Amino acid sequence: MDLFSNLALGFSTVLKLVPVNVPVLGLMPLPVNILLCFVGCLIGTLIGVLPGVGPIATIAILLPITFGLDPTGALIMLAGIYYGAQYGGSTTAILVNIPGEATSVVTTLDGHQMAKQGRAGVALGIAAIGSFFAGCVATVVIAALGLPLTKLALLFGPAEYFSLMVMGLVFAVVLARGSVMKALAMIVLGLLLSTVGQDLESGQERLTLGLQDLSDGIDFAVLAMGLFGFAEILRNLESPETRDVVKGAIGRLLPSRQDFRESFWPVVRGTGLGAILGILPGNGAVLGPFASYTLEKKIAKEPRRFGRGAIEGVAGPESANNAGAQTAFIPLLTLGIPPNAVMALMVGAMTIHGIIPGPQVMTKNPTLFWGMVVSMWVGNLMLLVINLPLVGLWVKLLKVPYRLMFPAILIFCCIGIYSINNNPADVLFTAFFGLVGYVLIKFSFEPAPLLLGFVLGKLMEEKLRQALILSRGSFSTFVERPVSAGLLVVAAIMLVLALLPSIQKGREEVFTE
Amino acid sequence: MTGMDEGVARPGGALRVRNPQDAGAGLFLLAVAAFALWKGADLPLGTLRSMGAGMLPTSLAVLVGAFGLALIGFSLVQDGPGLDRWRLRGPVFILGSVVVFALLIRTVGLAVAGPVSMLVSCFATDEVRWKEAIIFSLGMTAFCILLFKVMLSLPIPVLTLSLPIPLRF
Repeated sequence: MDLFSNLALGFSTVLKLVPVNVPVLGLMPLPVNILLCFVGCLIGTLIGVLPGVGPIATIAILLPITFGLDPTGALIMLAGIYYGAQYGGSTTAILVNIPGEATSVVTTLDGHQMAKQGRAGVALGIAAIGSFFAGCVATVVIAALGLPLTKLALLFGPAEYFSLMVMGLVFAVVLARGSVMKALAMIVLGLLLSTVGQDLESGQERLTLGLQDLSDGIDFAVLAMGLFGFAEILRNLESPETRDVVKGAIGRLLPSRQDFRESFWPVVRGTGLGAILGILPGNGAVLGPFASYTLEKKIAKEPRRFGRGAIEGVAGPESANNAGAQTAFIPLLTLGIPPNAVMALMVGAMTIHGIIPGPQVMTKNPTLFWGMVVSMWVGNLMLLVINLPLVGLWVKLLKVPYRLMFPAILIFCCIGIYSINNNPADVLFTAFFGLVGYVLIKFSFEPAPLLLGFVLGKLMEEKLRQALILSRGSFSTFVERPVSAGLLVVAAIMLVLALLPSIQKGREEVFTE
Repeated sequence: MTGMDEGVARPGGALRVRNPQDAGAGLFLLAVAAFALWKGADLPLGTLRSMGAGMLPTSLAVLVGAFGLALIGFSLVQDGPGLDRWRLRGPVFILGSVVVFALLIRTVGLAVAGPVSMLVSCFATDEVRWKEAIIFSLGMTAFCILLFKVMLSLPIPVLTLSLPIPLRF
């Protein structure tokens, strides 16, 4: 079986012993990759539980830590950071009623109620156990789908690729919060920003304003850290959140036998929903928890318990959340298309380490690919092992005042940006994009679609040009080729549906519930 | 009933911005589009068969502008939220501290750039307690030096004195 030999390769990468020169002790063989995964999970959670710091900001802040590592180690660590940050978001949702990001919004409903009833420990416990189960399933899904999807991707011509990316962007718009038109505008703005720099073919400088630092284009990390890191600080300073930290005991962590019985099927259903939705190009992962919560509420014997601390309302969505967070890697690793802003950040991180995500990663660099897949499973296991015993520490971190947090975040971001190219000009550009991000917030534009458009922009331009050269300048190639036409039709239908007034209302309800 | 007339929208009257936030957003997009069109005006457009360097930037800028116009148009017919209050203090001191970091990191090094920029950023909030902020910024800088320089060995200047204009004697 290919699947098993591939996973075995992954495990051998993750568990590989590397001789390391340890101070005092001398040369020692250490399982470096697994240690990196451990450290990643730990600090990912550490930063992720700080209120007001979502997964995107967490990864942006911690990115520089991976710069000195080899690509495989760096990506394994980043995967650890990602899961840590995700779980940190759920922890704040349960304990403080502040969701780290859209996917843990649902967890606040019943999770925080459970915490208020003195069952915070059980809520955190079932979230971790459900997430672990979901992680196991999702890892197998990735391993199983990775190969066939990669083969499919290699069959895609430029026209199909272009249409696929268009569909991904449309999905991202439809699933984003707020106005559809503003989200579309942000995508186009992101695409426009991606054209800054030298032209792919002629090498002409485009929109660089004569600045030499811009001739390679706008650095991805610069844009992300400005829009998410700095602009988020500005937003938080203006609207200080009220922290509703749970007082009193966390209670026992291990759910009782009855808790397990009540949450077993919600976990299974949530995992299924989350895993399937997560694969969709264009942030399907965000729908998983919502879908799971709605489903559990619909089929529950007493729907009234929901919103009052029902354990199913934590178990299902949390599993869906984690399953989706993981299967979201599938479009990235196989097609090279990041489905959401977090994955876009992973693309940026991979590019910094010299890896261009796409179907060729698996064929050219199998140890990296399978090492990363397995490290996802290991990361999930570690969350279970390290996070639960450390709950007390996380609760203490929740009380760190923002007046100390923001200077620390600032200095980390500055060091990180500077370290990418050892160029102070990058730091100045980041400040500029922080200002842009602030303006966008003031006009209630969501920055996430912009980032996604920016990341996909270069690839889209390349594929568009190739497709048009092949078709001798005729746009009909996109509708004449059946696969490409099918993708565009799906995109068009989604867009029309999203713009229909009745659906728009439903969309608002989904996101405000 | 005459007193009620004032509050009611008058059909046929002058156009009125009913959604200031979206109108502002539209103007912002128009400004960006105009800037991009101006800066990209010299680039060759080429043909669809072989695109020039300017084809995509120009068409994308036009699209951005079109979204701007659409937002402004809708803001005249649909009610919406007013403009948010803009505060200068946050942007000035937070982004200012970033600029300070950029200027100091090469010239004097992290040991100075760290505490100074963190303290500048503290002006952004009223909650600051200066004694605590000074100790925290020094401690945080020490931690960063330990983490990034000693443990991860990134090439960050910790303490140098290279002035932008080289001094010669």
